[in-house]
Amino acid sequence: MKALYLGQYVPGDSPVHRLDPRVKIVAALLLSIVILNTGAVESLAVTAFLMAGAALAGLSGGRIAAALRPLAWFFSALFFLHLIFTEGRPIIAALPAVTWEGLWRGTAVTWQFVALVASAAILTMTTDPSGLVGGVERLLRPFNRIGVPSHDIAVMVSVALRFVPTLLEETERMKEAQVARGADFGDGGPVRRLRKMASLVIPLILCTFRRADELALAMEGRGYHRGPRTYLHELRFRRADYAALLAVAAFLAGVQALRFLPL
Amino acid sequence: MATERLSTRGMIYASLFGALTAMGALISIPLQPVPVTLQTLFLYLAGSLLGGGLGALSQTVYIMLGVIGLPVFSGGKAGLGVLMGPTGGYLVGFVAGAFVTGKIARLRPDGGLLWLVSAMLAGTAALYALGVLQLALVGRLSPAKAAVAGVLPFLPGDALKIAAASVIALKVRDRIRI
Repeated sequence: MKALYLGQYVPGDSPVHRLDPRVKIVAALLLSIVILNTGAVESLAVTAFLMAGAALAGLSGGRIAAALRPLAWFFSALFFLHLIFTEGRPIIAALPAVTWEGLWRGTAVTWQFVALVASAAILTMTTDPSGLVGGVERLLRPFNRIGVPSHDIAVMVSVALRFVPTLLEETERMKEAQVARGADFGDGGPVRRLRKMASLVIPLILCTFRRADELALAMEGRGYHRGPRTYLHELRFRRADYAALLAVAAFLAGVQALRFLPL
Repeated sequence: MATERLSTRGMIYASLFGALTAMGALISIPLQPVPVTLQTLFLYLAGSLLGGGLGALSQTVYIMLGVIGLPVFSGGKAGLGVLMGPTGGYLVGFVAGAFVTGKIARLRPDGGLLWLVSAMLAGTAALYALGVLQLALVGRLSPAKAAVAGVLPFLPGDALKIAAASVIALKVRDRIRI
């Protein structure tokens, strides 16, 4: 459970790791838009681009596969849904539901999803959580005007990140306390399990409110107030960041241009 | 969201409920047909205990935790790709669900169990509406197919969680002040 604290981040010092988090977030967003409207040729180009990115980041194929594995079930379900429910020419005469069109569409849709997850995995594996929070905050700053409290969201996410392990520990403690009083979390039907869970959640919620009160009081006692603030590490674009952004933009423009080639 | 004045305390409440929701993803109870995780239990609690604005904010924090790489989306998923993918609508639905639940629950601050249950049912409807919409659009499924695959398997678990959440909310409600 302790490992959770680090999320998916793989520490390293590759050129991709050193990029400004904003560049990586924007690149992943742009890429996701392209991925969702590709044909066959473009998708090959995007796959090659993602593999190059992973290689440059020093991430092995195994690491990327590990990020995709929890989704394997979903990928196959999506593939088979399309394979079976798309109308068209049957592949085998005995199985009219399975069509060439279905095979094609299933592969395309599944690829899109795999590529989306892979590009996000490269982003989160090469950027530490606090860098990502900082990057998102900076990117959301222009939306302050329309009422998106970007600074507050950044602080809240950092606080939540800090408290996930604490709350997990707390839950474990509550569980032990209930077991010491004779509770049995082992088995029972769904309703019994749910009732036992309630005996865990009520103290957990009360405890969370108490902690929140203490933390808020401590923050106010130290003069915290909401709103714009300065940062110890202000994000700054360097030459490599501009270069990477240009490279991504050029690649995406190239992929869009591919569409107009007679292929 | 910005209509309510956000105090430091409200901010921390929402933030910790975001953390609780994230933690709920890590606890799964084996049930048929799909295992039940506890995110939505904390979603209902966030809405009914914190109100619409803070409830929605708490779920935004939860999504951000997943986006920055904590494996807190259902099935141990994480990252921006999940939000953009076919099941991302459910996550956006979490924000809407908490907001709707909270707004309705707050209309009658001392409404009974039935009022809380209806508030949570309305929140669940909002959640699934957005979830199915994105499932149909991104997964290229017809709305009917998306609804069958994306709503029905979860209903038994949701019923249990709404039952638990409404009882818990009722018990805890009077002991906290916001």
